[in-house]
Amino acid sequence: MRTGISETLLRWLCGDRTSSAAVPICVALLSTLVSSAALLALGHDPVTAMAAFLRGSGLMPKPSYAGGQSMLTDFMSYLGILAPMMLASLSVIFCLKAGMFNIGVSGQMLAAGFLATALVGYAKLPSGAARPLVVLIGAAVGGLMGAAVGYLKYLFNIHEVVSCIMINHITSYVTGFFIDTRYVDVITRSSRACSASSRLTIAGVRMGGVRAAIPLGILIAITAVFVVRFLMERTTAGFGIKIVGLNRDAARYAGVPVGRSYVFAMSIGGALAGLAGVTYYLGYYNSIVPKALPSLGYDAIAVALLGNLSPPAAVFSSMLVTIFQKGGVYMSSVTGAPREIASVVIALLLLFSACGAYIRERARSALGKRGGG
Amino acid sequence: MDVMDVMDAIPADGLSFAMPLLIMAIGGIYCERGGVLMLALEGLQGFGAFTGALSVVLCLPLLGAGSPCLVYIAMAGAMIGGMSFSLLHALLCVRFKAQQVISGMVINTLAMALTTFLTSVVNEALTSQVSNRFQIGASERFTLPILSRIPIFGGFFRNMYPFELVILAVAFVSWHVLYKTRFGLRLRACGENPHSLDAAGGNVGRTRVIAIMICGALAGLGGIFVAYSVSANFSPSIYMGYGYMAIAAMIFGNWKISPTFAVCMFFGLTKSAGYQICLWLGMTSNYTDLLLVIPYVVTLVLLVFFSKRNQPPRALGDPFDKGKR
Repeated sequence: MRTGISETLLRWLCGDRTSSAAVPICVALLSTLVSSAALLALGHDPVTAMAAFLRGSGLMPKPSYAGGQSMLTDFMSYLGILAPMMLASLSVIFCLKAGMFNIGVSGQMLAAGFLATALVGYAKLPSGAARPLVVLIGAAVGGLMGAAVGYLKYLFNIHEVVSCIMINHITSYVTGFFIDTRYVDVITRSSRACSASSRLTIAGVRMGGVRAAIPLGILIAITAVFVVRFLMERTTAGFGIKIVGLNRDAARYAGVPVGRSYVFAMSIGGALAGLAGVTYYLGYYNSIVPKALPSLGYDAIAVALLGNLSPPAAVFSSMLVTIFQKGGVYMSSVTGAPREIASVVIALLLLFSACGAYIRERARSALGKRGGG
Repeated sequence: MDVMDVMDAIPADGLSFAMPLLIMAIGGIYCERGGVLMLALEGLQGFGAFTGALSVVLCLPLLGAGSPCLVYIAMAGAMIGGMSFSLLHALLCVRFKAQQVISGMVINTLAMALTTFLTSVVNEALTSQVSNRFQIGASERFTLPILSRIPIFGGFFRNMYPFELVILAVAFVSWHVLYKTRFGLRLRACGENPHSLDAAGGNVGRTRVIAIMICGALAGLGGIFVAYSVSANFSPSIYMGYGYMAIAAMIFGNWKISPTFAVCMFFGLTKSAGYQICLWLGMTSNYTDLLLVIPYVVTLVLLVFFSKRNQPPRALGDPFDKGKR
């Protein structure tokens, strides 16, 4: 029994047990290699650049820090933007399980963030009341918007992509109007900062001599991973959603209420997007730029697919993508390479992950040819 | 402002909004009727606009500003650029059988990053200035001689961009190809039942690749239209959601060209009407934003009545597997 290294590798890639971990690792390695080659071609040191991505995200110490800051400051800020990314990708995942493509995450985020800011952000409430209210409003607003999309599909057969895109634009214009007329900060041109007691980030906490902002959103996001997993694996409604997503006609034949599953999936998805909105606008940031849909809502689609539509995997894929997005600024300032490199790296990651099935197939057929499979 | 001016401006502006939307949507129809999901319109139109603007910037010193050839060079550049970039989508979806949603997102992300980066590189090389935009100005407008004197409808034929006629012609040709030719039939078979095409001796993979390439070329044409007329430059602001709007128009039009044309025209006209009425009433820009909501709201309301029999192509999004059934 002689097995060469290449054969072990191929077995690892296409084995039933190992494949689900091996292919993503292979994808991550491949995209790191290709983007390093691209960096080299542009005349930058890939090792420094890759380290700079990690340093900018607070996962590796920087050579020097400004006064009162440390790796912890960066890491907390990284967690702050990771939370909405995780929530938004969970939203996309939950809807896609029912076969609905939630391209309206941005709109749901914006509406939830805006209403929470307008209703709670400027009211003088103690933080014990304001923070739960913000979370509640975020989930409710997003959930209602999602449910509306689900109902439109259920009652009138309106394709969810169209209604989501329309609602995105409507939200962007309407919230823009109210921010510009009522809540604008004349200097920054965005909405006035929400009160510290309503913000889902505790800013300026001193820990061992360094200042850091503690993001509460990450707790919401981690809870949401478990809730989504529970809903999908342990409840009748979640099971119904999965059947509807796999085969709508079979689901109807089996007695699953198809329309209700659409509405349920979209309202949970919308609620998750709403939570992403409040952790984004009243967490990582504290104000809203009018008439701008957050690009995070579209990035979340990519992140969800990178995680192969599994909630635990989405945690890792959002961590990975956020490293490149968050560390992009620092990488650019250290190496002088353009910031867009970060997007290119993310696109390469996606590109190779899209080929995951092909990699597995090739490994299997290569094994078959050797007569070992 | 005179009422007549408003009546004139509505169709002119409406057309310049509807036409790029239409041509991108037709591209999307080709791709999706061929059975391949097309979420990459946003990226393809941006990349097409980039290559088109780049060819204008490169040819400008040779031909001089104001040369009538520039428009055609821009269009050719944009179509070639969009087509070559769409080959990536074809490679991923047809050859590698990748998840088509991911592939679309890859194209969008890559296009945005690459064009922004390359624009600043080219600008630095050409003018040694750091800028992420190509200033290309707007193409000349013209008025059709006889048609423009028709009462009411004449407004459509005044102050036209040359692109609009080209797009209308291309739209008609693409309608003919899709519904009246052998190739069109095969393409539609690819989207409904690829195995039947395979059984009839057609090549599903090749037909799909051609469909994707046509889509890329048309989306690129739409992109350069926006860059070379309304916004008068190429900058990252080209990615303002036209591609997604085109996807919405395509689905609303039930993946058919004539209804999609109606949707785009309706959308362009309501949008420009809302805007012109605001100007006419002398409203502040804040209230203009509120009126700009109208087309989207009306579209949603109309969808309630027109969506009942909407049916996407049956094989949409499935990679073709010869051995499957």
